Amino acid sequence: MVSISFLNPLSPEGKDIVRELGSFEGISDDIPELRRLVTRNPSQEIVDDKEIPSNYLELALKRIEWYIKKKHDREFNSRRYSFLSDYSITKYDVISFYLLCQAIGVKFGPNSRETRVMVEAQGDLIQERMGKLSIQESRLMVDQSLAMLLHDDMVHWTFFQELLSTRKIRLTELVLDNGELILNEEDFLHRFGSRIKHRNPDSMYQLLIGDELKELIMVKMIMQETEDYIKQVHEKARVMVEPNPILLELADEVAEVLAEPMQHYGYGSGRSGGPMKAGPLNPLAFPPCVKKALEGIKSGGRNDAIVLFMTPFVSYARLYPDVFRMNITKRVSDQDPQLQITENEVLPLIYEAAQRCVPPLFDDQPQEKVNINAKLGFGMHSTLKMEHEGETTWYTPMSCEKIKLHLPHLCRPDDVCKKIGNPLSYYNRRIWEVMNLDKEDSDSEDNPSSNNVDNIQNSDIQNSDIENSANNENKNSDDSNSGEG
Amino acid sequence: MDLKPATPNERRQYYREEWDVNDIPEFIRKTLTQREFGFDHMGRGPNDRYRVFQNTDYLRKFMRYRTPFAAYSSVAFYHKPRRRDGWIKAELVFDVDAKDIPIRSCGCENVCEICLNQAKDIVHGLIDTIQGDLGLSDIHVVYSGRGYHIRVLDDKVMGMDSDVRSQIVKYLVGSDVPRSEYSSHGMKYNLEHFTVPFGYPQVFTDRVKQALLNLNLDTEIDEVSKDIKKAVIKHRELLSEDQWGLFRKEIGPVRYARLVKGIASLNLTLVDAKVSIDLKRILRLPSSLHSGVSMKSTLIKNLETFDPFQDAVPKFVYERKD
Ligand code: SF4
Ligand SMILES: [Zn+2]
Repeated sequence: MVSISFLNPLSPEGKDIVRELGSFEGISDDIPELRRLVTRNPSQEIVDDKEIPSNYLELALKRIEWYIKKKHDREFNSRRYSFLSDYSITKYDVISFYLLCQAIGVKFGPNSRETRVMVEAQGDLIQERMGKLSIQESRLMVDQSLAMLLHDDMVHWTFFQELLSTRKIRLTELVLDNGELILNEEDFLHRFGSRIKHRNPDSMYQLLIGDELKELIMVKMIMQETEDYIKQVHEKARVMVEPNPILLELADEVAEVLAEPMQHYGYGSGRSGGPMKAGPLNPLAFPPCVKKALEGIKSGGRNDAIVLFMTPFVSYARLYPDVFRMNITKRVSDQDPQLQITENEVLPLIYEAAQRCVPPLFDDQPQEKVNINAKLGFGMHSTLKMEHEGETTWYTPMSCEKIKLHLPHLCRPDDVCKKIGNPLSYYNRRIWEVMNLDKEDSDSEDNPSSNNVDNIQNSDIQNSDIENSANNENKNSDDSNSGEG
Repeated sequence: MDLKPATPNERRQYYREEWDVNDIPEFIRKTLTQREFGFDHMGRGPNDRYRVFQNTDYLRKFMRYRTPFAAYSSVAFYHKPRRRDGWIKAELVFDVDAKDIPIRSCGCENVCEICLNQAKDIVHGLIDTIQGDLGLSDIHVVYSGRGYHIRVLDDKVMGMDSDVRSQIVKYLVGSDVPRSEYSSHGMKYNLEHFTVPFGYPQVFTDRVKQALLNLNLDTEIDEVSKDIKKAVIKHRELLSEDQWGLFRKEIGPVRYARLVKGIASLNLTLVDAKVSIDLKRILRLPSSLHSGVSMKSTLIKNLETFDPFQDAVPKFVYERKD
């Protein structure tokens, strides 16, 4: 019988296993039993003996390696990791889970990429393991786990605040009635049965809730608990004395596994090609929202569009286009030591867009220049000075999701948009296509020969001048005002 | 009735003769000292901010003496409202502005009776979902002068961050197309949103219906051609009888999918999401004058019978000579 702790190491069963182990002593010793279990597994493929985990630490690394390879290695072979779904390793698996969380918590903290990977990997692993169970078994496991995680039959949706806030679960995925989350079949039939016409209510329950949704909630809750546990470890470690050197070593090894894909299989979403180098801006590759903003904002929301949206986008696209891939925080001057590109290419393009707003942004709000400098990381000052750099941070570009919320009129998604979650990723994707692949396939509205910034800057001035004089509406009629001031 | 701006004299008349501090809803008066107040004196935006009133009497005097162009108070509660510091919690707010309704049947310049009524219908739908799905009950509706504010004060949601609030907005307005493919035991099944009579799919169906019934040929929807719009107008009668299956067949399944996707993204502007996710926003003070259109921002007791052109018009408008 599968133990709950195989899915949720943070369950009481899981905690018992840790307690039994007691201390770190002998944590890196060989475990012949583990080797035996791995080699005995009939679906296990072993190319090299060195691949067989022979202690807790190696097993821990295998968990991360499995996730990274699965994500990034196009030649990923799941049979080499079959042992990870074999519940006879539960005892060792649980310990390795705790080791990973502690190592990552101590060394990297809860907001690190390592934590993100650990949490995601745990989620994927649970799903992989569930997939190996029979329907009866998996339903039983889900029901047991949920009973443990939810404590109560009736759960108000606000209980999932954290999962919603971290977007692990979308509110629209939950089935709600009167604020309560509907999970149980009887409850479902009682509340909705009479409304369901032309369908069998039982099968509707199975489809909408029975299998997928319950499992989803279980998985996401365990992921959240994993994240919370890492946070706890991190906080405790800050007040404790020396962390165990074994943990620090493991943390370094985790970081190494994570660094690998960037060198080997081109980190990112399956796109080939090396890392994105910074280079002159190519307006042909701008996403629809940026093109729209460059035409000038005519209908309110000028400040946000220029300061919060355009400034980060233009600066990162020009200076550090692969920020999300590298996941390393930088300053503008790391990429542009003399600030020449910033002064001569980045700011002019932002100012141009500001000028084309109606009314021109700096005419009535000259202080926004200071805010632009702040978003570039140079504090609240009217000029860019090296000595001020670092007083604020260099804002990374808003995600599409944020844009759709804050500046809905800018977002006019096209086909490329379906594949990305951030305008900067759009740019990286497109620029690579524009440069390397299909030169003839560039957007028909654009002039394919206009491969420079000047062209797009001049394209629409006339238009906006006409609207400018025609538009005198009173912009003070807003009913509400931002507290950001 | 034309919605002309109020003159300074009219403002003075309003605050000295008509307005009463007790017209401010109780949910604001009893938390007065925890809120930040902001004022717009010149009609150029609320730049007199960080104001705090120790009691209603100070507020009363301030309004009478200064007769502001516009008055606002924070949705947030602070330990130190004067510094906008020590944030405790914030009302959950939805701002439905008649001027910004994505599919307007009137086509007017500013706001008019038609779009204000449409705004009211939207508010009705949102409140149904806030109560029926989200199970919240401490709900106040305020006429803002150009639309409606829904203000929710249930303790369960007042502490929520912007990310959760943005999820709530998406649920209420129907901005995600519900998935139609489900699987069970390795088999795939298709369930269109309109076949699920509860939960989010039902909310989505309601919002789409509202949009389709108001749509006209000039409504711009992403990737939806004039032909599709013509077909919608021709067949939308079916929707009044909830014949969704037939309607979808008439439109064609591919074009139908494109249509609902377009409407889903328009739905995101049913409310001003910026207002809902801002934890420190100031909002027009109910009972104060919207000087731009000469109407009173008004707490609504019965949304059914509320008529802005009856219930939110200050006296001075009737006394105007022109
Ligand atoms: S989907 Fe993203 S990149 Fe595309 S237009 Fe919208 S915000 Fe821009
Ligand atoms: Zn109108």
